[in-house]
This record gives sequence, structure tokens and C-alpha cells, in this order.
Amino acid sequence: MNPSLNIVVEIDGTETNVLAQVIDQKFWFRIGNQTFCYDLAELNMGSSARKNKSLSKSPHLIVAPMPGKITKIFVAAADKIEKAQPLLVMEAMKMEYTLKAEIKTKVDKINVKVGDQVVLGHLLLELFPEAIS
Amino acid sequence: MMKSIHRVAIANRGEVAVRIIHACEELGLETVLLHSDADINSRAYRLATKSICIGPAPTAESYLNIAANIDAALAAGADAVHPGFGFLSENADFAQACEKAGLIFIGPSSDSIRLLGDKISFKNLAKNAGLPLLPGYEGDDQTIPTLLTEIEKIGLPVIVKAAAGGGGRGMKLIKVMSEAKDLIESAKRESKSAFGSEKIFLEKYLERAKHIEFQIFGDCTGNVKHYFDRECSVQRRHQKIIEEAISPSLTDDLRRQMAEVACTIATVGNYRNAGTVEFLLQDGKFYLLEVNTRLQVEHPVTEEVMGVDLVKLQILTAAEKFVFSSKEIRIPKGHSIECRVYAEDPYKNGMPSTGKIGMQFWPDGPRRRFEYGFESGDTITAHYDPMIAKVIVWDETRARAIQKMIHTLNESIVFGVHTNIPYLIEILNHAEFQNGTMTTRFIENYFADGITTATVPKIIPSVLYKKFLVGGRSGSLGGLLPQSPSPWTSAWRGI
Repeated sequence: MNPSLNIVVEIDGTETNVLAQVIDQKFWFRIGNQTFCYDLAELNMGSSARKNKSLSKSPHLIVAPMPGKITKIFVAAADKIEKAQPLLVMEAMKMEYTLKAEIKTKVDKINVKVGDQVVLGHLLLELFPEAIS
Repeated sequence: MMKSIHRVAIANRGEVAVRIIHACEELGLETVLLHSDADINSRAYRLATKSICIGPAPTAESYLNIAANIDAALAAGADAVHPGFGFLSENADFAQACEKAGLIFIGPSSDSIRLLGDKISFKNLAKNAGLPLLPGYEGDDQTIPTLLTEIEKIGLPVIVKAAAGGGGRGMKLIKVMSEAKDLIESAKRESKSAFGSEKIFLEKYLERAKHIEFQIFGDCTGNVKHYFDRECSVQRRHQKIIEEAISPSLTDDLRRQMAEVACTIATVGNYRNAGTVEFLLQDGKFYLLEVNTRLQVEHPVTEEVMGVDLVKLQILTAAEKFVFSSKEIRIPKGHSIECRVYAEDPYKNGMPSTGKIGMQFWPDGPRRRFEYGFESGDTITAHYDPMIAKVIVWDETRARAIQKMIHTLNESIVFGVHTNIPYLIEILNHAEFQNGTMTTRFIENYFADGITTATVPKIIPSVLYKKFLVGGRSGSLGGLLPQSPSPWTSAWRGI
């Protein structure tokens, strides 16, 4: 593992000494009493790329917000779903998390089954992007 | 008759395993850590005299596997087993299996665990002893239609709890009937996964209650006394986050009455060793909630105000060497607070955060105590509880203890996983926490969506980017970079 080091960065035009460490492609650093973390790959993309990335976040693509296990799937392909309707349940660290729909639409594809272990960012469900009336 | 203990097997992991190892070492005892193969990278693994792998990472195949734990303890030549908290600590079958195998279970007898630890048997025992309980349902008929009918009888809101549970697992709050069925099923699944049993019970939910608990202790003659109370009203999803001793909410009279009820229920259950009697307090009336037949996560705050070492007392009691002195006077002094540090992202409503721990700094100082289970290079996985450390402080008054905790947390650093430290600090700064009037709804009322990212300096990444890649100091940056090629290094080289 790379050691933590004090480095100088520019914050709001002022050179500031911060404690920093790179761990598994993440850049961790400390300013004052706060700890921050940025993805190295994202930092490399630059600010414009990052902006685009955040804009492209789509409510119709349900991805795993954390690594864990699928414990329940409430919907089937072609089901009509309401906004805030529970779609599936994941379990991580022995706690359950329910993923809900952000839009009113229909289910297109289900890419997982109950019992699957998934990694962070795994595409779990695909909904139709357009709201269905 | 005194029993002799030379080698203690620890059927647990993380910070509590470290806590038990320390107590054993100070008593001159050897330790054997019974661990899953995921926990070779942990502080307890490095500290234990010996260690035996009892199975793969999933808890059902390792930390919850009774036979594997017993076999390993025997193979290692242990004469006693400390179960810590969680996992098998409140499992009567495990205590009994230890007894049968000739291993001293450091805790109450399996009979006491069955009587008091089983939430349903406990309710019957309390009812028969005429002690105050909440309205509820704990019948054997666990079918959905029956449970739904009972919920309507009790009246919403109703809480569903795992009969074998604790620590918020398998616990769900039902506010509207339309969600009842899903929540019951979810509670059953969580309970099955965490405790191996899907039996649940129902209880009336109090909307502005305080969570108060008494640390009780039965010496080896069965004499039960208490080490006063703790308040743990700050809970999220029924999981405690901040605990303190003693409670800022009790009058002397209430404290006396509750202590008496706590000692009564423990005595009725033939209790030996450390245990906790939990209550809810609302509008000056208190209700028995449950007995935790084990050491509690928040035991350090009691240790700080009472000047005792509960883990050592547990071991000495199991060895039949601890008897309360008739002259002993137990008076709490000052105030102690504990904050649980969870590996989660406070800006994403507490989403679990996994990864390799990097730099970790716990700022020492007078009456600051840190209980942690992982060191730099260790990996926090999604298999286990997200609690990675506990920070405990003591000071002469509650107000000073709060200030000490805020300053201690401000100085604490963890790289590699996100932690709830910023969240804890916001709670400690909240007026309702500071004036001590918080209820179990505190988090729901004020921190329902976690905390906002308003304080994150969003300008930082691009500044870092420019500074490092265009005008940065390559000398200091070099040491930060991974040894293997990465997008970062290739971009750097490309300039």
C-alpha cells in the first residue's frame, strides 16, 4: 500500500498542505477536519468529463449502489411500475436495502436473480426510459 | 468450587475480539481466535496467541456454525469460550454445546439464555413476575393473516422484531397496513440470515420514547446487582449510534424503580455474568423491552463511569472467582459517551462502504478511548457488520463529554472507507441531543435523509487535477501513486 503523505494543493487560489493517500484507485485526502475521496479515473477525465458523466446518470438503469446479494425481486419483465415502487431488495453487511423506481414506466429487462452476488455498479434492471402513461 | 481457565477461545471478530484478547492477556490467559477465512486481515488475528479458521466468510458457515466453533475450541485446547456480542452470543444452543463439550461459556447458563434471551419466554416471565411490558403479540402462529389481525388489535404503529434477534436486525416498523405484509416478510428474511430463525413477534411502537438500559451483573453465587444505566436513544433503523452513561433523563426515583425491576427480572432468570435489561421510557412511565444475555456493544460507557472492567469480571465470574463484596459501593462518576464508527457514506444516506483501510489515526488524549478491529491494509468486506470502531470519552459533566467527543471525532482520520464520523459530529452538535431530550425518533425527525453534501468543496477535484497534472509537484505526488500502471499514472506520463 502507498503511504499517506502531506502534499501541497491549491484550494481557492491558496496553497494548502493536505494529508493524502492513494488506495485502490481512489485518492483520499484531508482538508481541515474533513476527509474527501475522489476516483483517480474521474480526476483524470477532468471536470468537463465528470460533468457529462453525472448528467448521463439514467433513472431507467438500475445499478447496484453497493456490493451485496440480491434477496428479493418484486417485479417481472413488462410490469408497469409507479414512481417510488420497490423494485428489488439487496443485502449487504447483514442489512437490507430496497431499491425503488425513480420514474413511472415499464420493466424492460431483469439481469439478476435472487441469490446473486453483485458488485458495485452491476446493471440489475433495465426500465423503459420514457414514462408510460 | 473454582474452575480454572487458562486458554480462552474467542468466537467473534472485529473490535470486540480485540477487547476480549486485551482482557484475557491482562489476566494472564492465552487466547484462540476462531475466525472466518475473510478475517485473517484483522487486528484480532494479529493479537491472539493462536488462531483457527472455522470456515468461509459467510456467517452461516463460520461465525454462526456451532459445531465448527466447538470443534475448533476443543482442538486448540481452550477451556473457555467468550462469544462477544452478536453471532452466537445469545444462542442457548451454543452455550449448551459448550457446557456439554466441557468448555466454560463466558456468559449466563444456557437455561438463563433460554428463559431471558428468548424474547418470547422473557415476556412470559416478566408478565408472571408482574413487571411492566408493552402491548404486543408473541404467539406461535406466525402465519401472515394471524400477524395482520394481531397488528390491527395492537393498533398502529407496530414494530416487528426477530424473536432470536438484537442489534436492529430483522426489525421493521409498520406505520400503514398496506406495507405490513412486505415488512413482516423482510423482517423474517433478515432474521433468518442474521440469527438462523425466522420467528418474529409484534410490539406496540412508542412514538416519543427514550431507550434506557441497565447493566446488570450476576456474580458466581447468583447475587445480582446493577452498574447503573445507559441511554441509547440515538438510533437509526433501530440500530444504536450514540450511547451514554448515565442517562440524562432519569430522576433518582425512576432510576431506583427501574434498577429494581432490572435486578428482579435477572434474579428470576437465575442470571450469572454480565447482561443488560432494556427499557422504553415515555411520559414518566417505563416498559421492559428485553434482556440481552451478553456483553453489550456500549459496555465501555458503563466501565468509564463505574471504574470497572466488565470483560474481566465476566471471565472471573465464569471461573467462579468473582463475588460481590457486601461493602462494595457502586456510584457512577462523571459522564461517558460512545460513538459507533460505521463504514458507510454519510452523504449517501449511510450506504455501506467497503474497501481497504488506509491510514487510520485515532487522536489520543486524557479519557479518550478507541476500540477498533482493523488496521492499515485490512479490508472491510460486505460480509459483516459495518461497525469498524468505537470512540469513547469521559468527562466530569455531560456537556464537557459532548465537547470532548466532538473534538476527538474531528481529529480522527480514516482513509480507504467512508465513515459516519461527519454524521456523528452533526448529531452531537444538535440542540436536542445537547439538551438531552432526544427520543428514539431523533434520527428520523432530524436526519431522515442523512446529512447533506453542502460542505464538500466541489472545486477540489478539478483544482487537484490541474495542480497535479499541470503544475503539481511531481516529487510529492510520486509517493502517492500506485506502483502498477493506472489511468492516473498513464495520464501523468502522457504530459
